[in-house]
Amino acid sequence: MEQIAFYLFSVLTIGLFLVTVLSNNVLYAMTSLAAGMVLISGFFFLLGADFLGVVQLVVYVGAVMALYSFGMMFFDATKDIKEKNTSSYLVFFLSGMIALTLVIMFSAPIMGENIIASYPIMAGATNPQAVGLVLFTKYLVPFEVAAVMLLVAMISGIILAGKKMDDSLTTKDENHEEDDTFSRKDIK
Amino acid sequence: MSLNKFKDRNVGVQNYTLIEHEAFPQTGGEKFARVLKRTIKGELFVGLWVTMRTMILALFNGEIHTVKYPFEKLPISPRYRAIHDMLRLLESGHYRCIGCGLCEKICIADCIKMDTKYDENQRKEVTEYTINFGRCIFCGYCAEVCPELAIVHGGRYETASQQRASFSIFDDMLTPIDALKEQKEYPGFGAVSPNADDNIKKTPLAY
Amino acid sequence: MDAIIIETIVKAALVIAVFSALAGFGTFIERKILAFMQRRLGPMHVGPFGILQIAADGIKLFTKEDIIPQHANKFIFMIAPIITAATAFIALAAVPIFPEFTVFGYTIHPIVADINVGILFILGAMASGLYGPLLAGMAQANKWGIIGSARTAILFMSYEVVTGLSLLAPIMLVGSLSLIDFNAAQTGGVGEWLVWQQPVAFILFIIAGFAETNRTPFDILEHEAEIISGYATEYSGMRWGMFFIGEYANMITISFMASLIFFGGFNEWGILPGGLAILLKVSFFFFLMLWVRASWPHIRPDQLMWLCWKVLMPIAILNVLITGLVMML
Ligand code: SF4
Ligand code: SF4
Repeated sequence: MEQIAFYLFSVLTIGLFLVTVLSNNVLYAMTSLAAGMVLISGFFFLLGADFLGVVQLVVYVGAVMALYSFGMMFFDATKDIKEKNTSSYLVFFLSGMIALTLVIMFSAPIMGENIIASYPIMAGATNPQAVGLVLFTKYLVPFEVAAVMLLVAMISGIILAGKKMDDSLTTKDENHEEDDTFSRKDIK
Repeated sequence: MSLNKFKDRNVGVQNYTLIEHEAFPQTGGEKFARVLKRTIKGELFVGLWVTMRTMILALFNGEIHTVKYPFEKLPISPRYRAIHDMLRLLESGHYRCIGCGLCEKICIADCIKMDTKYDENQRKEVTEYTINFGRCIFCGYCAEVCPELAIVHGGRYETASQQRASFSIFDDMLTPIDALKEQKEYPGFGAVSPNADDNIKKTPLAY
Repeated sequence: MDAIIIETIVKAALVIAVFSALAGFGTFIERKILAFMQRRLGPMHVGPFGILQIAADGIKLFTKEDIIPQHANKFIFMIAPIITAATAFIALAAVPIFPEFTVFGYTIHPIVADINVGILFILGAMASGLYGPLLAGMAQANKWGIIGSARTAILFMSYEVVTGLSLLAPIMLVGSLSLIDFNAAQTGGVGEWLVWQQPVAFILFIIAGFAETNRTPFDILEHEAEIISGYATEYSGMRWGMFFIGEYANMITISFMASLIFFGGFNEWGILPGGLAILLKVSFFFFLMLWVRASWPHIRPDQLMWLCWKVLMPIAILNVLITGLVMML
């Protein structure tokens, strides 16, 4: 049962990501990316990591949505995009990398056989608790570093966008003041 | 009267009220204060109450303003100019039209077609009378010009039809003889004004 | 094992059947209530009080021609409404609808899939439901559609943070992500309802829920007065209907979540049995959505962003902080 589900999910995920890479149409690419991300959460569910699965779902649904808004701004979604591919070195390099990745992927199970979990899952801890325990013991430093980096990114984003915040549509209300006095004079 | 005053079409009492806006907030603090005030003051809940009250009144007090149109109709003004009616004389029941042809003559859309002949009493008898309502613009001239108040405008305003030309013949527009009692004197376009009697002056007969 | 599979399939089929019907009924209720609030009569010619209008509309939607615009991206255009409808029902799968009851000696839990991260799952599924409008708008080669899908992205980015953060405080109090645990935490009657401990979180959640279900005052996706019909401009027939089944199912889900998380769920309420209690609560929240639609004006997309990011999110974070401090002390 679990195996059928696993192979189904993996075939679907790989197929969808292939569509993402190979398709000429931005809409197909994005949609298959989003669908692939959603299907990846299926793996987490299969592994019993419900919490991570749902987080994967929530996070990537939002992230791909942001990508969509860029796609919407840059491309006409109903037309195909013609890519120019001039550098044959790039193709060579990329296919080499793919081959290397494949080798690593297939050798990984052999190397992984003698890995022992240094922080085994505590008995009785539910999913979110287990994630929290690992995050705040073993991975405390990376976690905090990531948090600081995200904060930095957020602040710089606000500063970049905030320069023009004063002419945003929200604050346009003040300009109506003039129309207003005009109409009052008119009535009087 | 100066021309300017003559051109002023705003006759009558004006009921405009000037709504006082509060000043728009300038600084961030003022904006925040406005948000806070609007949140606390509960204007939104006033809005909710208004709709709720309307619903309660509609459900339990029957305050519903829907007119179920094809089944019930709102009364229209007597001066409304819709499909014509041909009236009868109240005493004899004979149709009023004397076949003078003035309506046919004045019709600016050229949509009245009539024909007459002399009957045995040497009176004009209407042999043919049709109005093409595909052309009629409901200007009301025919009703106004008719010396006998024979052709008047009725209240039937549903004039949609599937063809451009849609004719109405004399007998269709004529008050049915059995409905003679219900025939009302037409108060609208071209009718005698209600205070006509007061305006009558004696005409001297001899100089 | 087999019994569980069969039970789950039956439950899923029941949920889909009942809630599609309820969604249709929701449109009827909405039309009636809006009508009364505007001194109209609403639908009233088909059947008693016009109740068979749903059937008439269903027949109309099913038999209408399904038009696909010439330059549209056909495949995406065709699957977009299915995404909205399907995710709405997927979200419903994790909602415990009634208390357990026993039929023929067989205890039935009226929840399709009791996963222990129910709340997050529902939020995630409903969030992916917004891909429906987004894809629909982009695939239809229509400018109103593009505006609609751009607004979908705006809506999504605005409300999501607020929903998550507002629910975080009650989650911290209960210490679980499962709606059943939430229900169990409030068994002690009206005094134990979480809304008394977390009124701010409740208000934030309701505001974000209105945005999530695309209801007035946040119905920026397809506001007729501004962008014709937004993402649904080119849709007709059953595909159009599916968007609305999805929207109404989402409304029901949000009502269920609000009553389960903040209002004591399906616990007995005084003399009312649990099933009736939750029905009353859910109906109230559904009514609230219609009521608000009749009463309040709708706001611009930039105002929605302003509201969510500059007002609601700080309040939500403060709420989480204060809750945490109080819990630690
Ligand atoms: S209403 Fe005007 S257009 Fe119509 S029949 Fe009379 S005169 Fe002609
Ligand atoms: S103007 Fe009057 S009286 Fe003369 S023909 Fe027309 S309807 Fe008859």
